[in-house]
Amino acid sequence: MSEAVGDPVIAVRGLVKRYGAARALDRLDLSVARGEVHGFLGPNGAGKSTTIRALLGLVRVQGGSATVFGLDPWRDAVAIHRRLAYVPGDVALWPNLSGGETVDMLLRMRGADPAASRRQEMLDRFALDPTKKGRAYSKGNRQKVALVAAFAAPADLLVLDEPTSGLDPLMEQVFAACVAECTAAGTTVLLSSHLLSEVERLATRLTIIREGRAVETGTLEELRHLRRTRLRAAFAGPAPDLAALPGVHDVVVEGATLGCTVEPEGLPLVLEALTRAGVSSLTSSPPTLEELFLEAYRPTVGSA
Amino acid sequence: MAGGGGSGIVLLVRHHLRRDRVLASVWLLFLVGVCYASAAATPALYTSEADRVRAAEAINASPGVVALYGPIPDVHSLGQLAMTKMTVVYAVLVAVMFLVVVRRHTRTDEETGRAELLAGTALTRQAPLAAALAEAVPLAVVLGLLAALVNIAAGLPVVGSLAFGASWTAVALVATGIALVACQVSASSRTCAAVAGTAFGVLYLLRAVGDTSVGWVGWLSPFGWSTQLHAYSHERWWVLALPVAACVALVAAARWLSSRRDLGAGLVDARPGPEHGSPRLADAMALTWRVHGGALVLWTCALAVMGLVMGAIAPGIGSLLDSPAARQAMQRLGGVGTVQETMLGAMVSVAGVVVTCFALGVVAHGATEERDGRVEQVLATATSRGATLAATVVVATAGVLWLLLVVGIALTVGYGGAGGGLTGTGLTGPGRLVAAALVQAPAVWTVTALAVLLLALRSGWAVLGWALLGLFVALDQVGELLRLPGWTSDLSPYAHTPRMPVEAFAAAPLLLLTLAAAVVLALAGRRFAVRDIG
Repeated sequence: MSEAVGDPVIAVRGLVKRYGAARALDRLDLSVARGEVHGFLGPNGAGKSTTIRALLGLVRVQGGSATVFGLDPWRDAVAIHRRLAYVPGDVALWPNLSGGETVDMLLRMRGADPAASRRQEMLDRFALDPTKKGRAYSKGNRQKVALVAAFAAPADLLVLDEPTSGLDPLMEQVFAACVAECTAAGTTVLLSSHLLSEVERLATRLTIIREGRAVETGTLEELRHLRRTRLRAAFAGPAPDLAALPGVHDVVVEGATLGCTVEPEGLPLVLEALTRAGVSSLTSSPPTLEELFLEAYRPTVGSA
Repeated sequence: MAGGGGSGIVLLVRHHLRRDRVLASVWLLFLVGVCYASAAATPALYTSEADRVRAAEAINASPGVVALYGPIPDVHSLGQLAMTKMTVVYAVLVAVMFLVVVRRHTRTDEETGRAELLAGTALTRQAPLAAALAEAVPLAVVLGLLAALVNIAAGLPVVGSLAFGASWTAVALVATGIALVACQVSASSRTCAAVAGTAFGVLYLLRAVGDTSVGWVGWLSPFGWSTQLHAYSHERWWVLALPVAACVALVAAARWLSSRRDLGAGLVDARPGPEHGSPRLADAMALTWRVHGGALVLWTCALAVMGLVMGAIAPGIGSLLDSPAARQAMQRLGGVGTVQETMLGAMVSVAGVVVTCFALGVVAHGATEERDGRVEQVLATATSRGATLAATVVVATAGVLWLLLVVGIALTVGYGGAGGGLTGTGLTGPGRLVAAALVQAPAVWTVTALAVLLLALRSGWAVLGWALLGLFVALDQVGELLRLPGWTSDLSPYAHTPRMPVEAFAAAPLLLLTLAAAVVLALAGRRFAVRDIG
């Protein structure tokens, strides 16, 4: 298999990975196009890390196919890894190596020269002290060590597994800026997360994974227009009971205010009911990614 | 411990016992089993009391043996003769067992962050220390009782057996105290183990000095107290007050130290490291050398000192006594040849087993690196699986060769410096002891290769390498005593090493062992290439 310009950087079809009787990946599909930031969403145990480990050739899959840069991650792991940088979800450092040593070593193992890299700039931006020993870093700082190593030298593909779970909001901004610079330079990014706000901000397309299967995939807009509207209404009198109306979910009544989510088909009836009840104020907002996410996890997912 | 912590500690101890159930049981059974084998086999080895007395006198007359095993206070005592190896040498294994148990529930838990999880609950900050103690003390008592029971079952006197069991319990209590203190010193559990291990080594040497020259020095060491208890003759029960007092003092010291430091930190602040990595630190091999470099330096120093001391002791043996009875006793402990050569042969074969521990430590660490996700990070760079496994194999096998060389040179220098000479066949001159040490390598490599194969099959299995080592040593030590058929001890790779300097150098078994190691490593490499990582 050779690589053509139009081919996806990551192409996964029907991937199956079993651990004993448990299916970690159950016919998973995933396609990441060149130059995009692809959000990979799902809670712990959904199979995100297993997918990434399969893409890195660390685990052997039992079915389906996966390619990275058109190559087989199991057979051609080293060739693929020369062109990518990986940040694991839980970064473990070598206890007696300093952060600076670890960054330089990981860069050299990728074939990059630390002296010619943006190492110092990244250390400054992430405000990381490189002289501390590995065991002395907090979770957030361990993650920064891996992020500095990943961002310091250019790569064709960044594989980031929940990379900001230990970072404070300020550092999340630095992280977002680094990702943006990478995409501007043509790097493809696979960003797994359950921090939905982060994916919403950074991703151009996303895949939602549940129990080892991709349940939704598309751009944010494509997923959003299929979904519900969140309403908040206040009333002069008591709030009406909308729970019985078709297409209405998550009803919360607090005195004279009401909150709910409504499927597009349910909206006309809801608006009528609100008018009849004497609505005094009304806000509607598009569903956040959190809500899309919850939707994907509902036991009864529609065929949309 | 205060208030609501009480029930929490009970839960903690139960949890620890669950985690330790295999390790503690296997270790306990091994120690008690060896004890029983020695107790049961010794009467049959000597036909008359006169024989026994001569053997005991021979042991007492040999500074080398006394330095290694301690003296026999009452030459008429059958129990003391039967427990020659148990009283001190196996007491060291008792100490190591309690270090392992205490460390994994105190410092290791802190290092991995498990302790932080617990500190967030209703437990007091001293709870892990208290829980480790609450597990170790009953375990020490059980160990002592079992040892006493099997000795009684083997026909040794009841009172003496109880005293002997108490000596193991005493060593276990002191070791627990030392381990608790050592685990306060550094944030690294490996450093803590090194501190405690060094303490054990120093205490062992103090006892050796006390037993061979300056008597009072031996009273500074818990291993000396075991001999001074005089189990199986006129027991001096008051000696047991010393380990109990030492244990109480050490536990108090550990509590005080732990109350003066932060969770996860050591007493000694971690020094800052270099800002930049060395250009050589660029592949898995360099990384693995770096990870084990500190340990290798410690091992080198420890083995050099042991080699020098043992080598220096050896020449004195033969001039003091070279009777048939002495020779017979010596052969029980080592092999055949002149008394000095037998002693030296026994020392290098012990060194072979000791050095195996370094290699198994490297292999087991490879499994830890994988479990913690560090191997995954290395493999996600342009590093192949083969290179990762090869790094572990090379550091383990080359480290073994280096450490055996150190042992050989130290023995030669010590022995030569004390005026010893060598007779017999094969390689002659000063190179003979170095060769005697180096020929241990193929057997060590074979055991190492088996551990690597276990790692390659499943990372969690790598620790079974220790069980394998225990089994081979047990076959070697106990097989003869229990009169098991010859092929059982032949299962042990160590059984095929030529016993230099007593026996001549023989290339064939060494080549076969090396070949066996190579084949097992090749299998391991193939398996590691196709299994899931992590």
